[in-house]
Amino acid sequence: MASVVSSAIPRGQVDLVDFVDWSGVECLNQTTSHPLANALKQGYRDDDGLHLESDADQQLLIYVPFAQVIKLHSAVITGPEEEGPNTVKLFANKEHMGFSNVNDYPPSDSLNISLDNLKGMPVTLKYVKFQNVRSLTIFIEDNQADGDVTKVQKIALFGTTVDTTNMKDLKKIEEH
Amino acid sequence: MVLEATMICIDNSEWMRNGDYSPSRYQAQADAINLICGAKTQSNPENTVGVLTMAGKGVRVLVTPTSDLGKILACMHGLEIGGEMNLTAGIQVAQLALKHRQNKKQKQRIIVFAGSPIKYDKKTLEAIGRKLKKNSVALDVVDFGESDDGKPEKLEALVAAVNNNDNSHIVHVPPGPSALSDVLISTPIFTGDGEGGSGFAAAAAAAAAGGMSGFDFGVDPNIDPELALALRISMEEERARQEAAAKKAAEESTKQEKVGEQASSSQDAAMTEAVNTSAVVADDKKQNLTDDEAALLEQALAMSMDGAKSTSVDIADADMSDATAEDPELAYALQMSVQETARDSSSQSEMSKVLEDQSFVSSILNSLPGVDPNDPSLKDFLASLQGQSETQQKQKEDESEKGGDK
Repeated sequence: MASVVSSAIPRGQVDLVDFVDWSGVECLNQTTSHPLANALKQGYRDDDGLHLESDADQQLLIYVPFAQVIKLHSAVITGPEEEGPNTVKLFANKEHMGFSNVNDYPPSDSLNISLDNLKGMPVTLKYVKFQNVRSLTIFIEDNQADGDVTKVQKIALFGTTVDTTNMKDLKKIEEH
Repeated sequence: MVLEATMICIDNSEWMRNGDYSPSRYQAQADAINLICGAKTQSNPENTVGVLTMAGKGVRVLVTPTSDLGKILACMHGLEIGGEMNLTAGIQVAQLALKHRQNKKQKQRIIVFAGSPIKYDKKTLEAIGRKLKKNSVALDVVDFGESDDGKPEKLEALVAAVNNNDNSHIVHVPPGPSALSDVLISTPIFTGDGEGGSGFAAAAAAAAAGGMSGFDFGVDPNIDPELALALRISMEEERARQEAAAKKAAEESTKQEKVGEQASSSQDAAMTEAVNTSAVVADDKKQNLTDDEAALLEQALAMSMDGAKSTSVDIADADMSDATAEDPELAYALQMSVQETARDSSSQSEMSKVLEDQSFVSSILNSLPGVDPNDPSLKDFLASLQGQSETQQKQKEDESEKGGDK
């Protein structure tokens, strides 16, 4: 999917992959050979050969906690045309959801992924709903072709941190 | 040492009354469950286990996942057998119970004991299996009891649907001589995917494999090597002494088996005291030791009654210092026996008096920690002592070697 658009990070936003708390990341219904890291981790997600794949059926439930509180602005979700995700629901600050209670709460945002999105165009989220996010739950309900297997190439999240410290700019001070 | 929350589904349906697994299917199942709970809680102290019943009036959770082994074992008491097993409802309730576990970091596992026929079809079971896999719940199935057409295949299909990277297993246990728990110990259900729990399983296997009787002296050399060694050495020493005594007795021709008896019982006392001071206080172990001592005592007495006993006095001398330190009464007895051999027939009467004093002898025996004065073999021995001392007095002048009236 290395084509067109994408990579144009909205102004002022940063890629939140640095702020993900990897110890708490969970994904339900993934195949062991195609786990979530393939779609989320830097390096893996840009590798066309690696993708996230669903197992028993086409749904996926991804739980991403963050190391600090962030505001979520937009997201990039790419995947193949047929098996890429179609309906995606996002829940902010809901821990340990399961497939059984995923429909009990109204989502913070509900996305319909278009083919352009699948090619890399960012999806703008309802920014007001994501002002104070500690963890994000991504529920992929079905895919484009309504098949049994959903494949996701890349999931990238963009936003800002609540405190304005940009951790990358923080240099270690040798002498005071 | 996987951090795991487990729900165990018990089959308490009518089919569990059958006795093809001893003592009954239900009891074999209960034993296996006890072992599993122990293994799980031991392999990782943060593991939790819960139990529910699938038959009876309906699916009922007896205890929600907890790490308190006592609570788990207690809830298994007084379960009623009856009704029909509802497999799908049982699995679903187990899944729900696991979902609400306190520590979300624990992996979820369900262990199902399926002893009665399964009325659901393969498709339903596979759907349930997929649902479990989707929610990353592992499943172990123990197929025992009834084996109607299709039951093994249905359960295999169920486990295959759940299986994700070899985390789910199924074990078929046909009825046979070995207990259900013994068969399960060697399966991955116990050993937990190849790691952890194996220490407990090995110990359980050792205990199960005939308990104490598998080892000499009722002590497992793996658990307590020093005790096993001490017992073995003292046993060998005793045998050597007895053989030497027998040889010398056969060579020489005189004397009092009383002295010999006293001496050899002092040898036994020395040995048994040494044994008992080092013995761990376990009830059945103690019983074993008592039986061993009684056997040894009888053995020693038999040997000493065969021949003359001035020889065994030498051995008694060697032991005397040991015995003296441990038991003043014994020392007194030994002193007397030594004095007697120095003298002649007069000593016989004194010795007989000593032994006649039933209470004295009993008190000696009572002071020996491992000896049970109510032991029938001991009582026979005491009775025979009485008989002997009387005969000795009659045959005072004869210096007979015999006297072994029993």
